[in-house]
Amino acid sequence: MRLVVRNLSKTFSMGFFSRRHVEAVRDVSFEVKGGEIVSLVGESGSGKTTTAKMILRLLPPTRGEILFEGKDVWRDLKEREELREFRRKMHAVFQDPFASYNPFYPVERTLWQAIELLGEDLSKQDKLNLIKESLLRVGLDPKDVLGKYPHQLSGGQKQRIMIARCWILKPLFIVADEPTSMIDASSRGGIIKLLEEMREENGTSIMFITHDLGLAYYVSDRIFVMKDGRIVEEGSPDEIVLSPKHEYTKTLVSSIPKLYKRMEDLV
Amino acid sequence: MVEPLLKVEGVRAYYKLGRVFVRAVDGVSFEVNEGEVLGVVGESGCGKSTLSNVLMMNLRKPLVLVEGRVLFKMGNGFLEISSLGREEVKKRLWGKEMAVIPQSAMNALMPTIKVRKYVEHLAESHNIPKEEILEKIRIRFQEVGLDPVWLERYPFEFSGGMRQRAVIAIATLLNPQLLIADEPTSALDVVNQKIFLKVLMQMKKRGIVKSIVFITHDIATLRQMADRMVVMYAGKVVEVSPLEEMLRKPLHPYTKGLLDSVLTPEPEVKDRGITTIPGAPPNLIDPPTGCRFHPRCTYAMKVCREKEPALVEVEKGRKVACFLFTEEIA
Amino acid sequence: MFKVMFKPLLKNRKFLIGFSVFLFFLVLGLFGPIFYRVDPTEMTWNHEKPPSREHPLGTDTYGRDILAQLIHGIRSSLYIGFLSAIISLTIGTFVGTFSAVKRGVVDETLMAITNIVLTTPSILVAILIASYMRVRNVEMVALILGLFQWPWFARAIRAQLMSVMSREYVYLSVMAGYSDLRLIFEDLIPTIATYAFMSFVLFINGGIMGEASLSLIGLGPTQGISLGIMLQWAVLMEAVRRGLWWWFVPPGVSIVAITASLLVISTAMDEVFNPRLREE
Ligand SMILES: Nc1ncnc2c1ncn2[C@@H]1O[C@H](COP(=O)(O)OP(=O)(O)O)[C@@H](O)[C@H]1O
Ligand SMILES: Nc1ncnc2c1ncn2[C@@H]1O[C@H](COP(=O)(O)OP(=O)(O)O)[C@@H](O)[C@H]1O
Ligand code: SF4
Ligand SMILES: [Mg+2]
Ligand SMILES: [Mg+2]
Repeated sequence: MRLVVRNLSKTFSMGFFSRRHVEAVRDVSFEVKGGEIVSLVGESGSGKTTTAKMILRLLPPTRGEILFEGKDVWRDLKEREELREFRRKMHAVFQDPFASYNPFYPVERTLWQAIELLGEDLSKQDKLNLIKESLLRVGLDPKDVLGKYPHQLSGGQKQRIMIARCWILKPLFIVADEPTSMIDASSRGGIIKLLEEMREENGTSIMFITHDLGLAYYVSDRIFVMKDGRIVEEGSPDEIVLSPKHEYTKTLVSSIPKLYKRMEDLV
Repeated sequence: MVEPLLKVEGVRAYYKLGRVFVRAVDGVSFEVNEGEVLGVVGESGCGKSTLSNVLMMNLRKPLVLVEGRVLFKMGNGFLEISSLGREEVKKRLWGKEMAVIPQSAMNALMPTIKVRKYVEHLAESHNIPKEEILEKIRIRFQEVGLDPVWLERYPFEFSGGMRQRAVIAIATLLNPQLLIADEPTSALDVVNQKIFLKVLMQMKKRGIVKSIVFITHDIATLRQMADRMVVMYAGKVVEVSPLEEMLRKPLHPYTKGLLDSVLTPEPEVKDRGITTIPGAPPNLIDPPTGCRFHPRCTYAMKVCREKEPALVEVEKGRKVACFLFTEEIA
Repeated sequence: MFKVMFKPLLKNRKFLIGFSVFLFFLVLGLFGPIFYRVDPTEMTWNHEKPPSREHPLGTDTYGRDILAQLIHGIRSSLYIGFLSAIISLTIGTFVGTFSAVKRGVVDETLMAITNIVLTTPSILVAILIASYMRVRNVEMVALILGLFQWPWFARAIRAQLMSVMSREYVYLSVMAGYSDLRLIFEDLIPTIATYAFMSFVLFINGGIMGEASLSLIGLGPTQGISLGIMLQWAVLMEAVRRGLWWWFVPPGVSIVAITASLLVISTAMDEVFNPRLREE
């Protein structure tokens, strides 16, 4: 098992004088095998991003454990080098392509960061060639990208660069948190294809997070349906989409806009 | 007999940036008929939001109307709103005849101003008694599935889906004939998208609004309620077709590309697999010559690089701007 | 990085005008005393003389040279302005950053204090403290003023940091193995720097105005000279009523010109930076 998540919970507490609690993630458990693509599907606010951040070691959990390659992400990574190793092996693509780039730097900064994290002893020219190759790999012309600032590129192009970053690192695990929800519908398929290719080439496991079951249907080996912080149903894409059992899954399925069939209950 | 409610004739609207122009809407003509939902689709940066501003005559600083007319049906005739100034159109038509849900309206609401204040502001600008309009919005809120107590809340307390419903409730308060919705669902999850579409269709069914222009990059969403489609690419209209016919047989290669890139869990889609349109829409300061789609078009011919295809009717009710169709006819 | 941030400023007309005016006074304050070596406190028998060759801007009741006073006054007013701005900026940055990073109880306590300071009528407290001290040098006045200017800045920094720290690009830098220090220098500071810079300008302004207000009611520095003190003397000796224009016009014009130039600079910066901030 590449990733094991057990009884993961996160409660946000706000306010000092008047305390309020939000149970964003409740008792979530699942496992992901090497080279497997799983999807976490649910509407906004269901706790998907919170789960992702805990797995990525960006947000400490309230309870539960996350084992990556057998090591507890939050308890076993003590040494600096261990942590860097973890960062190399587990990476992410986030939802908002605009917020994924610091507006003060050219977009390729994110690729230089990846090369630095790799820590390989390469000449500057080799590094630049690696960057160019990664861009070509995700279907971008380095000419159109290098030296550009974030606002000069489209959302789809920016998400492709994020995948180029993953391609440089070739991690064992990628958390893709709604990588397609803020870009053009016509660019979504391309991003999904690239993620699939990462899996084919390197055996990367991917956790694909989305609110759109329709997209999850295409990429996943297994789908987890999340509602109010809990996983309420799990199964293969066909099971979930073609014969959903849980009421909430049925709502999700009926909410997917289809191309060849109009929703009947709109009017 | 379909009657147009709004007519757009040869409109060019550019952003004037110093010495260069961004030709965001460049020679566009079409009609919005009474009682229809017209879908406008195209990738980001193709000029859809600019077009919505032109329809409303909401022309501000860098954006100027260079050429063309926009006509709105008033009584028995048409009012040429493009000959009036922005303020004039705002005073006479906005809210009462035509209303818009702007792109990112969700964030346009000031987080520190209560929703009720927006409504009161609307009452003031239309000289309607405050109490009357507050009563109206309470009912309208309930109709869109929001508890009227939310009128006393601040926009940041709303979830995305709720905020968008609040926006549509306020925008349609004076029962405008035409509602223009610019990407109203693009930032919502599918569950909230559907709730919003339901609210929208209810409004049309109950006659609160007559016609809707729905702008989006997502054909699958449009498919749920549009009657006709206008496909926009790089500031131009490349195809106008009834929705069902367009789905059955897309004419313009761009339309086909858009349809083929949609991913929905359907057997038809699963069979064809994932395809994408290579490249990205061009910069509109210096768009490609000839057919603006030619650098991305798999059917591009020599003539496509040199001459610009005109939008012509090739079947009844279907127009397309592509040499694959017009050359044979000519 | 700084090139990206500040180059567009140099193309803004407003900024250039404001900055030139400010630079003029800065140079006057910094180098004036070196070239015009007249002791501003030296009393002569030439009382209240209008401008002449000997005293280019005339003299006051005690026969002291106005030009010398003006140059030294500008110098110490600017000094007070800068010093109080540095104090405000330091406290504000510290409180705001600490609040944003530590969150929880630390945040709530610091913000409670901030709000208290924010809502107290600061000039009154400054008057109280100032009147309590018998001897006040220029630094003390700057400190008093600096202690009351920071709250709104602390709040703004906290809000900005909180929003920046939840941006994806910060997570991506963390995931690239950045140390906290590197994260602060490469990602956090540039984002808040433009804002801090703008605030700094306004703080200088606040310091200069604050000193002038304190001095006018007799609570300015008891040692040395400043634009506020010059005005206070002019007022005490009824220079305005008696038409001794060379006495009150120069310090008055200087204060107005300096503070106006600072306001122009900050609005220009707002114009230049804000569309870029919104673009994110
Ligand atoms: N930093 C935070 N502080 C307080 N509440 C939070 C925070 N982050 C997320 N939440 C809350 O946790 C819940 C789940 O959020 P999230 O994980 O972002 O959901 P999703 O990604 O599925 O949209 C929401 O109710 C959200 O408001
Ligand atoms: N205020 C503006 N100033 C200059 N150019 C603009 C402005 N707003 C939009 N544009 C440009 O106009 C073109 C069309 O933009 P827009 O109408 O927003 O497209 P869409 O809504 O289809 O994404 C784009 O190339 C965009 O960069
Ligand atoms: S005109 Fe030519 S380039 Fe343009 S869409 Fe038709 S075939 Fe393609
Ligand atoms: Mg999320
Ligand atoms: Mg738009």
